[in-house]
Amino acid sequence: MNRRDFIKQSGCAAMGTTTLLSTLTNLTTFNGALGADIAKSAPPSDYKALVCILLAGGIDSYNTLVPMGNTPGGDNGYNEYSALRTDLAIDRNQLLALNNPQCSSFRGIPCQYGAFGVHPTMTGMRDLFNTGKVAFMANIGTLVEPIMNKTEYQSGLKKLPLGIYSHSDQIMQWQTSVPQSRDALGVGGRLADLLHASNTYQEISMNFSLSGKNAFQRGQTITEYSISNNIDPNNVGFQALPSWWSNSGYLTQVRDNAIDSLVSKTYANLLQKTYSTATKNSTAAFDIFKQALTKVPSMSTAFGTDELSRNMQAIAKVISVREFLGTKRQIFFVTYGGWDMHSNLLTGMNQRVPVVSQALKSFYDATVELGIADKVTTFTISDFARTVTSNGQGSDHAWGGNTIVMGGSVNGGKIYGSYPKMDVATYNRNISFRGNFIPAVSTDEFYAELALWYGVSPNDLCYVLPNLGNFYSYAANQYPVGFMNFNGTAISNEDLPPNCLSY
Amino acid sequence: MKPKITLCLFTLFGLSLNTFAQQTVKFGMGNTKNVTVTASSQDNTGIRTLIENGYLPNHNQASRFLSQATLGPNMALIQNVTSQGREKWLDEQLNLPVSFNLTNYLGTIHQSIVDSLNRNPANNYTKTTVGLDNWHFDVTWFQGAMTAPDVLRWRVALALSEIFVVSRISDFNPYPYALTSYYDVLMRNAFGNYRTLLNDISYHPTMGSYLTFLNNHATSTTKQIFPDENYAREVMQLFSIGLYQLNIDGTEVKDANNKPIPTYDNNDIAGLAKVFTGLSWGDSRYLGDTYKNYLSYTLPMKFYGKDSLEFYRNYSRPRVYDAHEPGTKTFLGQTIPARDVMQGNQDIQDAINILSNHPNVGPFISRRLIQRLVMSNPSPEYIARVATVFNDNGSGVRGDLKAVIKAILLDPDACGCPTNTTAQNTSGMLREPFVRYMNVMRGLTLTTQSGVYRNIMYRLYDKVGQVPLFSPSVFNFFQPDYAPEGELKAMGKVAPEFQILNSQTLTGYINALNEWFINDDPTDWWGYFSGERYKADQDPRFNLTADYTLTRNDKLPQLLDKYNLLFAHGSLSSQSLKIIKDAISSMPYSEDANGVPDSTSANRRVRLALVLILSSPDYLINR
Repeated sequence: MNRRDFIKQSGCAAMGTTTLLSTLTNLTTFNGALGADIAKSAPPSDYKALVCILLAGGIDSYNTLVPMGNTPGGDNGYNEYSALRTDLAIDRNQLLALNNPQCSSFRGIPCQYGAFGVHPTMTGMRDLFNTGKVAFMANIGTLVEPIMNKTEYQSGLKKLPLGIYSHSDQIMQWQTSVPQSRDALGVGGRLADLLHASNTYQEISMNFSLSGKNAFQRGQTITEYSISNNIDPNNVGFQALPSWWSNSGYLTQVRDNAIDSLVSKTYANLLQKTYSTATKNSTAAFDIFKQALTKVPSMSTAFGTDELSRNMQAIAKVISVREFLGTKRQIFFVTYGGWDMHSNLLTGMNQRVPVVSQALKSFYDATVELGIADKVTTFTISDFARTVTSNGQGSDHAWGGNTIVMGGSVNGGKIYGSYPKMDVATYNRNISFRGNFIPAVSTDEFYAELALWYGVSPNDLCYVLPNLGNFYSYAANQYPVGFMNFNGTAISNEDLPPNCLSY
Repeated sequence: MKPKITLCLFTLFGLSLNTFAQQTVKFGMGNTKNVTVTASSQDNTGIRTLIENGYLPNHNQASRFLSQATLGPNMALIQNVTSQGREKWLDEQLNLPVSFNLTNYLGTIHQSIVDSLNRNPANNYTKTTVGLDNWHFDVTWFQGAMTAPDVLRWRVALALSEIFVVSRISDFNPYPYALTSYYDVLMRNAFGNYRTLLNDISYHPTMGSYLTFLNNHATSTTKQIFPDENYAREVMQLFSIGLYQLNIDGTEVKDANNKPIPTYDNNDIAGLAKVFTGLSWGDSRYLGDTYKNYLSYTLPMKFYGKDSLEFYRNYSRPRVYDAHEPGTKTFLGQTIPARDVMQGNQDIQDAINILSNHPNVGPFISRRLIQRLVMSNPSPEYIARVATVFNDNGSGVRGDLKAVIKAILLDPDACGCPTNTTAQNTSGMLREPFVRYMNVMRGLTLTTQSGVYRNIMYRLYDKVGQVPLFSPSVFNFFQPDYAPEGELKAMGKVAPEFQILNSQTLTGYINALNEWFINDDPTDWWGYFSGERYKADQDPRFNLTADYTLTRNDKLPQLLDKYNLLFAHGSLSSQSLKIIKDAISSMPYSEDANGVPDSTSANRRVRLALVLILSSPDYLINR
């Protein structure tokens, strides 16, 4: 016997197969809802969708929503803003004024100013704000529990988010709303865990991503189904073998069957098993999605040609075939990055902010065209806001900032939360000489309001938002923030498993 | 003291003099010393399995080793390692000089484009007036990766590019010299010292631009301007020490409440941010100067203690500002003394020393390199062995990457197989999509008549979302601690590459296989200038004719064995091989009276066999 042949197998594949270790059910890691059916509730009778737009990198949202008052001794917001932002300040006469934005207070924290405008390129958002379809959240961010001022922040007695100012932590925490953990499921994933059972086809996830894998849509039983913005049935699934191969139809079948057999084997190695499950789940979803896409109607709403607009248009198209996907609840996720503007901030914002404003406006118009504007709520999130002070070319990482929420069911035309005072010396929510603000509104309160609207019962909010009890407990007609219009929305009273999560 | 490197020795089969029965003697893995091996036979035609460098691997083991040490083995390399052993091959590779300078090659392409355009006498172009695009970097990269003999260096440099990340998704889009010059730094330092590597990237304008400390300025309280904190944060979080204090084995140090202990806070960041002030372009005239031309990205950044920007802008009464932050700088519990700002370059040197001497660096960088080259979940013992070599290569040198690479690739955990079930079931790593591509391009010895490959890899990126220096952020394509939901995560294990596996990229990969093999189109040739004649001799195709005789049903096992060895080092299970064999057997096949297979059907059989092997989880998880 040749000695070289003694050791046949160099890798670890032949080291013996063992029975599965795990007592977990075959949790699906991709696309799937093939695991244990957590929710057994009756399907909701209506359709609702949430659309999360992640502005990755940390948008300088103190240049998207800007105080405009210039009355020394009165509402002097713009002058305080420009004194602090120096070379980053936008000229007051370029800002687009908002009609009576009604910024009041939140948790007893007063809004510091009365008059506001938006970035000069945000015409779409200005128009939708003034017609009541867009609202802004002021000074919102990641919190484990309320922190009322700098003294509390420094006391060591309050639980703080991990890695404040760190991209990787904050971008994740905005998606999980569990800032004390680096290992939490996403808000959209947990929502889907509760509600996916109402959808007809469990082979295809209710969570669609235009930006691949993400923390937001990751639940216990559900993660994202990742699609491209090329909404074309021929672009779904494995390409057929070419027609110039004789009997290509048959051979395509041979290939697909063989791939299916390879990924249907039992693998003891969990990486192999995870890959196999991913493949199986993806292929199971292809057929449904491919069929549905043949039904996309032609729509007249015009979209831009930039990446975000194309992604938003793709979302509108997927929503348009919701019946064919058998879905009553969907959550969409899209990333639009490039906001980490430590330098070149003014130019960078002038390039990117209009893209967001126009893409959102087009998307809203498309939902109007589809007759479901009040069924779709769209919102922006980002890693964090940026320092109000300049580094000479841009701004650095900070904490609480401003976001957009848009839709026919939004109580728009208002600024919710508490816009901070543009004063690093005296404002008691500022914690750094650079101008970094303790958030007034937590991501939990924001998401809780969306969750109630979306059909989660008050009893189940603690599964979606494990820290919510630190901020809010439900009482009839008392909503976490107040930005959603609940008129005609019945608050669900179903008590679904699973139980509350805690971290 | 000699470096103590645990060699990758396997179970050795010997013959007992007494019984002539086969015996198993394990040595090496437990550092057995002074082993004497005596031949049991006088026959001198036996096959040598031990040489002075250690045990000779078989073909499969050689292939597995090369799947970790290169961008993909080919048959010649497998033969080479099989006959001379891993360690000798590694030493040879570690001593090869950098054979391919990306910036020079890019310059050659650039010049040839200028020359071609100037053939029209009406034109008078220069390299300054002819701009290039990012894909010229991709062409350059592919040319080097396909032709350079220092294949280990190419593998390690790719790993470094995913740890010390810069990306074209940035301000230096589209400046391919920014990419080639930075990649040259990684190539040059791949077998160098960690401290030099950290130094060189910290002075590189591509990094300076990417993490925005190029033209970073001292604090100006009157103007309310502060040093940019970007690099200070990421150099600690990602390039050196990480978020938490680590033990030598990579586990986190815990406090009295069993909580991990952060390595730094925001004050450390603000302190370090002051250090990285006063750096501008290498060809600048003052701090705040702008990009000049394509060469600007190829020169290390220049230090300015004072800012003379206003002078150059012809202010009538220019004021001179500090460019470099004056005063002491405190971070990580150490204080850099106050110096004249003109001596500020020494502050940067001190900071790089503080960072590179931090006890976290060894376990932090070792774990990342192991994850890029060998496996997702290295054991604490494996990390400790490598980190120990990082801390001291045996000759008192810290950060010797040659020794670190050797320790990683020759470690028993890299070459052996775990014996406990948990480790078996979580062993290996998902091959990165881009590495899979290179496995195929190198494995099948894709050759061109011209010796030139013009491959912009555009469709590859479109389908699988990965080519070098194209990550979405400084956090790479995937993060080291990413765990897919499910059993792996429940066990506390990670699988970073799964972060970019989704229904799109998964389909994209299968469809890419379709293009490479079924459509016979493995690379993307683009014209360099409008009207350029298509050059087929730079646009390679696979030549698989040698395999045709292996496509008859009874020969298929040989065909599959060959590619099982090449791509999966024999790890395709008999079940998987049967599935593939059954599929291929069901395809049309015919041969002539002399037994020569019909070339069309033979060709298709080979191609589909390759697609299926490369689609199998046995291949995709490298273990």
